[in-house]
Amino acid sequence: MEIIEKIKTNKSIGNQTEIQKICLNKLQSSPLPNPKSEQWRLSNKSKLSTLLDYSVNEKDSKFDIPYPKNSQSTIRLVIGDNSQINLVEENYSINQLSEDELQKYIKEQISCFDQNENWSDLLNLSLNSTKNTLGFKVSGSEIPPIEIFSHASSNSLNAKTLIIFLEKNCDIDLLQVNLGKDNSSLSQSTFLCLEENSSVNHGVVSYGENKSNLLNSLNVIQQKNSSYNLGSLHFKFNYARFEIRIKQSAGNAKTNIKGMQITKKDEQISTYTKIEFNGPNGFLDQINKSLADDKSHAIFEGSIIVPKVAQRTDASQLSRNLLLSNLAQIDTKPQLEIIADDVKCKHGATISQLNEEELFYMRTRGITLTEASKLQLSSYFQEIISFIPVSKDRWDLLDKLLNEN
Amino acid sequence: MVNENLVKDVVKEPYKYGFVTDIETEKIEKGLNEDIIKLISQKKEEPKFLLDFRLKAFKKWQKMKEPDWAALGYKKIDYQDIIYYSAPKQKEKISSLDEVDPKLLETFDKLGIPLTEQKKLTNVAVDAVFDSVSIATTFREELAEHGVIFCSISEAVKNHADLIEKYLGTVVPASDNYFAALNSAVFSDGSFVYIPKGVTCPMDLSSYFRINSGDSGQFERTLIIAEESSSVSYLEGCTAPMFDTNTLHAAVVELIALDDASIKYSTVQNWYAGDEEGIGGIFNFVTKRGKCLGKRSKISWSQVETGSAITWKYPSCLLLGEESVGEFYSVALTNNLQQADTGTKMIHIGPKTKSTIVSKGISAGNSKNSYRGLVKMGTKATGSRNYSQCDSMLIGDQASANTFPYIKSQQPNSEVEHEASTCRISEDQLFYLQSRGIEFEEAVSMMVSGFCRDVFNQLPMEFAAEADKLLALKLEGSVG
Repeated sequence: MEIIEKIKTNKSIGNQTEIQKICLNKLQSSPLPNPKSEQWRLSNKSKLSTLLDYSVNEKDSKFDIPYPKNSQSTIRLVIGDNSQINLVEENYSINQLSEDELQKYIKEQISCFDQNENWSDLLNLSLNSTKNTLGFKVSGSEIPPIEIFSHASSNSLNAKTLIIFLEKNCDIDLLQVNLGKDNSSLSQSTFLCLEENSSVNHGVVSYGENKSNLLNSLNVIQQKNSSYNLGSLHFKFNYARFEIRIKQSAGNAKTNIKGMQITKKDEQISTYTKIEFNGPNGFLDQINKSLADDKSHAIFEGSIIVPKVAQRTDASQLSRNLLLSNLAQIDTKPQLEIIADDVKCKHGATISQLNEEELFYMRTRGITLTEASKLQLSSYFQEIISFIPVSKDRWDLLDKLLNEN
Repeated sequence: MVNENLVKDVVKEPYKYGFVTDIETEKIEKGLNEDIIKLISQKKEEPKFLLDFRLKAFKKWQKMKEPDWAALGYKKIDYQDIIYYSAPKQKEKISSLDEVDPKLLETFDKLGIPLTEQKKLTNVAVDAVFDSVSIATTFREELAEHGVIFCSISEAVKNHADLIEKYLGTVVPASDNYFAALNSAVFSDGSFVYIPKGVTCPMDLSSYFRINSGDSGQFERTLIIAEESSSVSYLEGCTAPMFDTNTLHAAVVELIALDDASIKYSTVQNWYAGDEEGIGGIFNFVTKRGKCLGKRSKISWSQVETGSAITWKYPSCLLLGEESVGEFYSVALTNNLQQADTGTKMIHIGPKTKSTIVSKGISAGNSKNSYRGLVKMGTKATGSRNYSQCDSMLIGDQASANTFPYIKSQQPNSEVEHEASTCRISEDQLFYLQSRGIEFEEAVSMMVSGFCRDVFNQLPMEFAAEADKLLALKLEGSVG
């Protein structure tokens, strides 16, 4: 693990920024997460070490954006290429975060980081200098959709950081696309702050090529009356880990999450979520779907934390899993930690395969087995895909999934 | 609006089994080392294989670390400050109940477990364990007529050494976990049940565990073997006096069911839970596991956990035989500063195996109540099914309820379903009951009883009545 060696010796990681120094310092004593900890015990160790076996690359190779931009107003940004953004329009403005603002915010975050839980972020921030950081704040109304691309280059590890502050009463559609390359690792850390009355429809689509690896960490802080909707899709990664941490800092906020991960061959994709309610009247509706085929391994661990202050929280979490092969495996662990008494919390989990009766019904109507399974899969996928803020005529994700899987 | 204090008052109820029996006991010195283990083994006149088993377990235990993954916080246990053997002094051999120390009989009478003849009416055979030893087993002759062996494990070691050697430690190996290793090294007594082929046990079997001294731990071991096509229902009850020190209880229970056999194991656990400030109480670390070895075998666990300061207990089923069935029905009530981390493991290994989990947790006061379960579908478990349901009820805003279900599947032709919910006592329902003239206290008790109904329905009749009463007692108190 080339990177870990470098972290240990603190060598060859260029001119370090202050943030990098703090993170490297935190990592030096124990550069790897504890494999016995709840967050990492199911993680495939050899795959994680492959992810860390590349050298850090701050320069990007060219890449193709997977679908055309057909609306002139859409704002497209590529992390690494566009590190400067300043847009002031009639109704809205998007402004670059100053160095001080960035530092102050990240330092605040790091101060409450846990070595195991936030290891992905610590690694990201210790490897990334300011070049691959994109930070901006959005204010105003009638903001056009924002699309942000993050990509890896072959035979290297790229670390990219995205920070977005959403001012009060703002409403945006945000699509984040993480692209892996042949033999590459991408570390993407995203920080979103939603001020009061703001709302985000967030889509995260991540897919790779041959032997791509991904560490994708998403941290969201929601203020009162904010609404956060997340639709996510992860597929085609040798090893991918999607960590979602959402904090409703004063309650009274709404969170909807619909995520899906698809694994084939010997891939391992895991989703870890932690939703904390720090005030009353919070709302959460979460569904996570996995599909595991061949020799692959899909993991979901979700925790919902409801302390005493979070009275009248209404939270539900559902993990639905399809296991399609004898050699594949699925682990799922939805969990609830509740202290407040006036709450409605529930969770559910199922693991099964495609419904045989439905297949039989379709076949008696002359639909071939392949077509029938495709139909079933598309209905399974559609619930999640429809939640990702990109229209079908622009980017047909369902078609992509069905043809590639 | 429900008056919070009202509900809190309702869940307060003094522990009525907290008396100490003043009886002369024989204790060995505190501490744990090889000599102590040899001494225990020598006192019990054990064969060599058992001493070897103990010493091996002790060596493993020394290398192990106390587990810290459970959602429990308790002060460190000093394993050298515990007496590992304590027995009431009495005549060497007891040929009839008349020879048992009347004080002991009185103790069990006070606990509602009469060992004398009057128990005949209820048709339940009892094995009573006081501190480290079994003092009496009733109905042995009647059981023997059917070929059923029901005795203390020490007697079984002497009279049925072959069975003990064959089965002891096959379900829970000595190195299974920290507390199982400790138990394997120092276990002093417990019950042994053997149901021969084709026999349906003519009566319910029951063991009653009583910890009497404050400084000795209780380490009992229970082994139940159900041969082909046999069936048995086994009940277990536990109480302890009130001390302001913590007493350690680390038991191991092993069940083995062969082809078409069925074992029903029910527990009402009411160890002393400590006082309102959390002082005293039993630390209850128990390993219970059943092995469904045979085809169509069935093991059913039902438990009502209301006592102990700390509960760490996961009755499990290893479903090896084709079409074998595992069940787990649990009610766990915690109050004041009690902490419970309990649940089950259903390991599906054989094909067409089925398991059902129903867990109800009620947390009141400042207590912490966690459900932790594992459902695993192995690669050969084709056509297997699991259904789990765990519900929590919170009383008051200081109590916590956690749910940690681990689910792992490696078999596409199997189905796993899990659901969990958390709620509190519904104000609407309370209002409805009160408006019909039902007292507040009774209404709460009725609702809790209704919440637990799925589990109570699974308990044997006498036990269901006792469990219902026990919950009602815990929920009874001065209103207003």
